[in-house]
Amino acid sequence: MIEPVALENFFIAFFSAAMVIICGALYALLFAYARVHRQPRLMPLAYGAYGLHFISVMVLAYAMNLNGFWQIVVVAMLVGYLLAPHGIWYLCQGTHTAEAAGGAGDGSSSG
Amino acid sequence: MAIGVLDSANLNGGQKLAVKYFTAAVALFVAQILFGILAGLQYLMPEFLYNVLDFNVNRMVHINAMIVWMLFGFIGAVYWLIEDEAGIEVVGLKLGNLAFWLFTSAVTVVVVVYLFIQTGPGTDTTRWLINEGREYIEAPRWADIGIVVCMLIFFYNAAATFMKGRWSGISGVLVLDLVALAGLYLAGMFYVTNISVDQYWWWWVIHLWVEATWEVLVGCIMAWGLMKTLGARRKIVTTWLYIEVALMFGSGILGLGHHYFWIGTPEYWFSIGGFFSALEPIPLVAMVVHAVYDSGVHRFKNANHPALAWLIAHAFGNFFGAGVWGFMHTLPQINLYTHGTQWTSSHGHLAFFGAYATINIAVFYLAIQKWRGNVWMAGGLADNGWKWKWSLALLNIGVVGMTMALLIAGYEQSFIERAVGGSTWSGYFAAQTNPWFMQGMWWRQLFGWVTAAGVVLLVWDLVTIGRGETRAAEMPEVEAPEPGGAAATAGA
Repeated sequence: MIEPVALENFFIAFFSAAMVIICGALYALLFAYARVHRQPRLMPLAYGAYGLHFISVMVLAYAMNLNGFWQIVVVAMLVGYLLAPHGIWYLCQGTHTAEAAGGAGDGSSSG
Repeated sequence: MAIGVLDSANLNGGQKLAVKYFTAAVALFVAQILFGILAGLQYLMPEFLYNVLDFNVNRMVHINAMIVWMLFGFIGAVYWLIEDEAGIEVVGLKLGNLAFWLFTSAVTVVVVVYLFIQTGPGTDTTRWLINEGREYIEAPRWADIGIVVCMLIFFYNAAATFMKGRWSGISGVLVLDLVALAGLYLAGMFYVTNISVDQYWWWWVIHLWVEATWEVLVGCIMAWGLMKTLGARRKIVTTWLYIEVALMFGSGILGLGHHYFWIGTPEYWFSIGGFFSALEPIPLVAMVVHAVYDSGVHRFKNANHPALAWLIAHAFGNFFGAGVWGFMHTLPQINLYTHGTQWTSSHGHLAFFGAYATINIAVFYLAIQKWRGNVWMAGGLADNGWKWKWSLALLNIGVVGMTMALLIAGYEQSFIERAVGGSTWSGYFAAQTNPWFMQGMWWRQLFGWVTAAGVVLLVWDLVTIGRGETRAAEMPEVEAPEPGGAAATAGA
């Protein structure tokens, strides 16, 4: 079911796993910053970070011997991290638009 | 309202009870650090306190004190917010006080038994009265029952108060989470002779408490903390709480599988654990987007600088400690080598500090501000706030330093003991005596002292901050939930 990491790939496995998360977050950070501050020129940097994330995932897949079922994990990581900042952004916009429009309350009710 | 002096008249009933929990939490925090330092020293000087206070005892008290002080902090935080949220007094305040004294007395007795009796004959008597033997939840069975009773009282107080008063999005999530908090502890309270079955249920307490119910509890406290510090709108924090709870539970519950890799469970846990562990950092990445968005909107204007600084430390600590450090060794292909090494310890130090210690400290600062009559705690403090700034710096440097030192030791241990040595007895000793491991332990000890200095400064600051200050804080207006979906603003 699993093929353990080869000795010579130890460092690569740890490092690429860390880079998967860090680049994923950097992509999300730059994506959100570019949109909040209306600086579209930062967007290529955001997608550049996603590109690094993509490379990190590929290196991780190689170092960790992610074959067979594990390729689904690889695809889930790539799709999840690509779409998550977009989805969260739309949710941010939605909630703050309601705030700007004076929407308040949280649907609370008395007990 | 008296400004600049500790006056209980500034607090409501729930907050007076919360202050007791916070005080006990700080005392246990100090104990955690003290016993951590003793245990760390025993790596460097194995004969130190040998047969007096052995490593297994020091480590057990170190970890148990951590779990309990965080729990005390969470319970205190909920009692702190409950009357503001519900709009009425706590329904069972006397019962809550009784539970506090029961819990605190039980913890004291358990620690005294750990320290002075330590071991038993290994019979049912040992399990019931001395030590149950399950890592992290070693408390004997009588104390287990006491913990569940106290959690049920806590649940009753929260649920009944909101039912009698008013519900809000935050309180709804909180009460449901408390059901899980009390209920899951039961999974660690029955005895089976098969170690795989025992570990299977034990992880329900450990993983599902820490990576599910505690995360949600912290989400509720964070939502409320953002309203208190930044004046964030209730609708927004509540919406985000729902989103984060959905993401946390969606990935965290079955993320439990990453603990089932090597305990004799079926192979399909490799797939489940691997898949959901890969998804677990996504909520943390989502929080990055949300944090950038909200900081852009609110521009960090706030009335309690130490509390906000610790909330920011929480966001980063949670991301790096739980997300980055967790994912580095979570897939079974590498976890085969790292499981139970100092690598895990490295992850544990940063994740517990980043995700939980930080937010508890933030709430302590919010509490001390109100206790001193909503005293000024923004910029321009009398001493320029050097104590809170230095304690923040020392604690973060100390914990990050320990994390890096343990990471190096864990890497060496995974490589030499597990991969090269094949997890043999000789491999174990080869790793333990390797210079990289020993240097890692020395550096960990050094940064442990830095952390201890940070805790001393933190306690000093909590006792003195705002003392003699005459300025009142400009507290943000906090929306109180009201029937019918409207929100009114209430003075903080």
